[in-house]
Amino acid sequence: MLRIKGGKVYDPVHGQAGVVRDVCIADGRIVENVSGGRVIDARGMVVLPGGVDIHTHIAGAAINFAREMIPEDHRRAVALVRTPARRAGIGGVAPSTFATGYMYASMGWTTIFEAAVPVLTAKHTHEELHDTPIVDKGCYLLIGNNEIVLDLLEAEDYERARHVVAWLLWAAKAYGLKAVNPGGVAAWKWGQNVRGLFEPVPGYQRVTPARIITALAQIAEDLRLPHPLHLHCNQLGLPGNFATTLETMKILEGRRAHLAHLQFHAYGGDDWTTFRSEAPRIAEYLNDHPNLTADAGAVLFGDTVTVTADGPWQYLLYRLTGHKWGNMDIENETGCGIVPYAYRQRNLVNAVQWAVGLELLLLVRDPWRIFLTTDHPNGGAFWRYPEVIRLLMDADYRRERLKALPPKALSRISLPDIDREYSLSEIVIITSAGPARALGLSHKGHLGVGADADIVIYDEDPDPGRMFARPRYVIKGGEVVVEDGEVRQTVLGREFVVRPNYDEAIEAFLQPLFEHYYTVSFANYPVELERVHPVEVRSLGE
Amino acid sequence: MGGKPACTLGEVKNRADLIIYWGGNPAECHPRHFTRYTLTPKGKFTPNGRKDRTMVLVDIRETPSTRAADVFLQVRPGRDFEVLTALRALIKGQPVDPDRLASTGLTLDQLRDLAERMKRARFGVIFFGMGLTMTRGKYMNSSAVLTLAAELNAFTKFIAMPMRGHGNVTGADTVLRWTTGYPFGVCFNRGYPRYNPGEFSTIDLLVRGDVDAVLVVGADPAATMPQPAIEHLKRVPTIVLDPKVSTTMRIARVGILTAATGISAGGTVYRMDEVPIPLRPALRSPYPTDEEVLRRIRQTLAARSSG
Amino acid sequence: MGNREAMAGVITLRLREKPHVPLEAEVICPDVLVGKPREEIQALPVFLGKRTRRLGDFFDVEVDGDGEEIHLEGDLRRVRWVGRGMTRGRIVIRGDVGMHLGAFMQGGTIEVFGNAADWVGAEMTGGRIYVHGNAGGQVGAAYRGSPFGMQGGTILIEGSAGPEVGMRMRRGLIAVGGAVGDFAGLHMRGGTIFLFGPVGIRAGAWMVRGTIVAFRPITLLPTFLYACAYRPVFLRLYFRYLQDHGFPVPPEALNGTYQRYTGDTAVPGRGEVLQWIGDL
Repeated sequence: MLRIKGGKVYDPVHGQAGVVRDVCIADGRIVENVSGGRVIDARGMVVLPGGVDIHTHIAGAAINFAREMIPEDHRRAVALVRTPARRAGIGGVAPSTFATGYMYASMGWTTIFEAAVPVLTAKHTHEELHDTPIVDKGCYLLIGNNEIVLDLLEAEDYERARHVVAWLLWAAKAYGLKAVNPGGVAAWKWGQNVRGLFEPVPGYQRVTPARIITALAQIAEDLRLPHPLHLHCNQLGLPGNFATTLETMKILEGRRAHLAHLQFHAYGGDDWTTFRSEAPRIAEYLNDHPNLTADAGAVLFGDTVTVTADGPWQYLLYRLTGHKWGNMDIENETGCGIVPYAYRQRNLVNAVQWAVGLELLLLVRDPWRIFLTTDHPNGGAFWRYPEVIRLLMDADYRRERLKALPPKALSRISLPDIDREYSLSEIVIITSAGPARALGLSHKGHLGVGADADIVIYDEDPDPGRMFARPRYVIKGGEVVVEDGEVRQTVLGREFVVRPNYDEAIEAFLQPLFEHYYTVSFANYPVELERVHPVEVRSLGE
Repeated sequence: MGGKPACTLGEVKNRADLIIYWGGNPAECHPRHFTRYTLTPKGKFTPNGRKDRTMVLVDIRETPSTRAADVFLQVRPGRDFEVLTALRALIKGQPVDPDRLASTGLTLDQLRDLAERMKRARFGVIFFGMGLTMTRGKYMNSSAVLTLAAELNAFTKFIAMPMRGHGNVTGADTVLRWTTGYPFGVCFNRGYPRYNPGEFSTIDLLVRGDVDAVLVVGADPAATMPQPAIEHLKRVPTIVLDPKVSTTMRIARVGILTAATGISAGGTVYRMDEVPIPLRPALRSPYPTDEEVLRRIRQTLAARSSG
Repeated sequence: MGNREAMAGVITLRLREKPHVPLEAEVICPDVLVGKPREEIQALPVFLGKRTRRLGDFFDVEVDGDGEEIHLEGDLRRVRWVGRGMTRGRIVIRGDVGMHLGAFMQGGTIEVFGNAADWVGAEMTGGRIYVHGNAGGQVGAAYRGSPFGMQGGTILIEGSAGPEVGMRMRRGLIAVGGAVGDFAGLHMRGGTIFLFGPVGIRAGAWMVRGTIVAFRPITLLPTFLYACAYRPVFLRLYFRYLQDHGFPVPPEALNGTYQRYTGDTAVPGRGEVLQWIGDL
């Protein structure tokens, strides 16, 4: 039992912005009242719901591959020395799993979603998630390049495709559906990519990226998934790709979808020398279309490592930079590519990228539909979120940082003309309440009675960067896990998994195909429920 | 700076038309490799099975695997690095000195032919074995194969994969990476993970005598390591967990028989392509599992340090 | 070594207790020790395996004057990280010393009257290290995954060295009087390596830029091409520099014709290997 006494509560879901009140906790939930138990004197402090990261790469084969590739970053990184409360680990841009949990929690984030899981290696992902302490989690199944599904779409057998997708979702023990460069990663299996949204995917006559996108968005709705299709658009990273993004949003009209790391998809220009921001056009469309949500995927200057299922893009980045390159193609399903990368302020393209992420966050008017991420680690490490928060809340600071950009960049971006400053309430929405709602997690992102007791308490500070970098207390499921920047105890967070409906007979269809294309036995393919624990399964009705 | 292009074995089965085995003898050491993954199975884009593939074998001598090869290149022992480096030049159209190449046992024509085959392949794969990873050059030989495969992607789809030895090496590598950031040779002396092969790798630690206690789980260093390492194992307290009385257990201070992993003890193995596969015990064992023993040791240590 | 008087302006550390496992002592560095009184030096942390101990547990400490010189005496084969990241001052070691000597060094000098181990001057950016005995492998090299090894400074090894001397070095000078192991100059990005003794195989492998000067016959990879034979004038400057620092340059090396090879075409790189073929 716990009472947080006299703090300034920010709970946008319930319309509270700095209301001085107590928050009471019992049995891991927020309750009306408690008597007895610990009291935290929160006077002079702000009390927020714990952060929710809707898109990050922290568990599974891809990020583990990245760990292998960057021992030099591990050496530079913060070393987490073992304490009685906390296992040893390394921080940096690809932290070890225990360190990931501690570092997210120490920042005040209590729920995170691994953005990309293949079924074939999902067991690995769940093992890593289990070794990520404190935070609650879930993951998205990579489905946009699954060739069995693509073949069904080619045959225009939408019904079967829906059952197969549902079966795969449960097999992977995932929470939602993820499509990365739909069709492009399948083409990468032969070293190719897709170009336009409406051109057939290499090897197919009818299936186009557009068809994959609309079919999967429909399937997500038909299956009643709590989170809509989570989409990494085609043409990531390329100059002029904003046109593809706009086209993609148009074909999604009338359906819900979430656009991942939108910053990487909001570029204008014809080539690297004419590279510019088209964030205003993208933001305008998003403003007018409430069926869509997005996360920022903001870029921060510094060294990082890029990790994505977008194999062909990563190969291009390897050729452009000459940096080390990792690639792993997964039979029938997807792939991943890894390239260490550094965003440099003096680099014109990087300067524009930095501005684009902030422009999207500032120009999208509704904070309930644009969320704070850096697509960790692609735009920057997750533990740098406080830097983004400061840039959003403090226009003077932002103008200071703008002065350091190469002068040529200024004509390519709109950021200098934007004066908006985020309020603390709005920050709470883009870091917690908004993602929780988009994920359909009704017990997260707020401090009302019945909510999970995931709470972060900060000393009030006019410098938002400083405030957010060091919580006074972090509470997870009612337990005080972090106090004064130190992990005091660890708890085991739970995993959210959906169980969609499908016709069991689909297995008879799947199995022979599986045995033809795969190299493990069908019985060993799905993730056993026992491997995911603690788990919260949400069964989706008929 | 090179790279590591990889894929799961199903991609090989479904697409690869050029299979190169380098420094390995799959016919004997990975007996179902040909039939499950590389030569005979009919995959999605390899409907004609063996006829859809060309197999090239590079090794220092003929082995039972040679029979299955379409092309056999006999390289002189310890010269693989020279051959791989020459191939890196040849695929880029860069010059190679034929006289100095001669010491490898292979000719410029042979390598030009191989380079052409690799570039013209629809999907090529190099499986490299201990004949490469354990001979002069060691990790640089692996690096050479991986870099060559990465560079071949400028021309076609190409991957490289290590032929792993027994004992779930890939699993240990994978788990160590997610828990510490590093694949092997992890030192915790300063309270957090550090990595430096040569300083913290097992054989070097034992040969130099840098450790004053040794715990061996599922390995038999006394059977394979140089004599100074073995002497050190005898000198310091050595504790061995193994399903049998191994060579190391015979010289150890404490030996604990445990259930054989994969046969009597279940778990998850990571295949050479990092695909996780559950293993369910087939037989019962009278002995506890490695996991049980280690947990009990840890509990005892924890009780002692808090007491 | 007998008892020596501590010299003026010198901190003297005499090993009294030989560590039975490696002792990590990065505090033995002018930047850390200079200006501290004896008691403070004795209390500095060192790491014996997994245990934290005090420098004074292993060393007798004498502080005389306030110079910037540290003298170490004893069999320090197991003492690692001496001179780590130093920016100034001087370390003199009478005895053998352990791994990572002068790693990340930025300035100052280290002199060893004895043997050193692996990773001498790894990733250093300035300063000078002189080992009168032998060194191990990875002299001036990059640690795993780092794009660059040493980027400045000078490393002189009178005796032999192990494999991967100058691996991924970008700038600076390395000279080895004795034999070196395989892969000298592996993946070199720049800088100069002088090899006066027998050279292992695969020298210059994958080099991008830089110069390797070899006095004994070396077998190069097939991806090195003969360019010409000549008498490079710039070498005299280097030889004079080496001699000025007391490094023994064989008299026949001072004059000579060199065969120049370029490579490694595998990259393709523009490095050069100069092979001495005599005073012709």
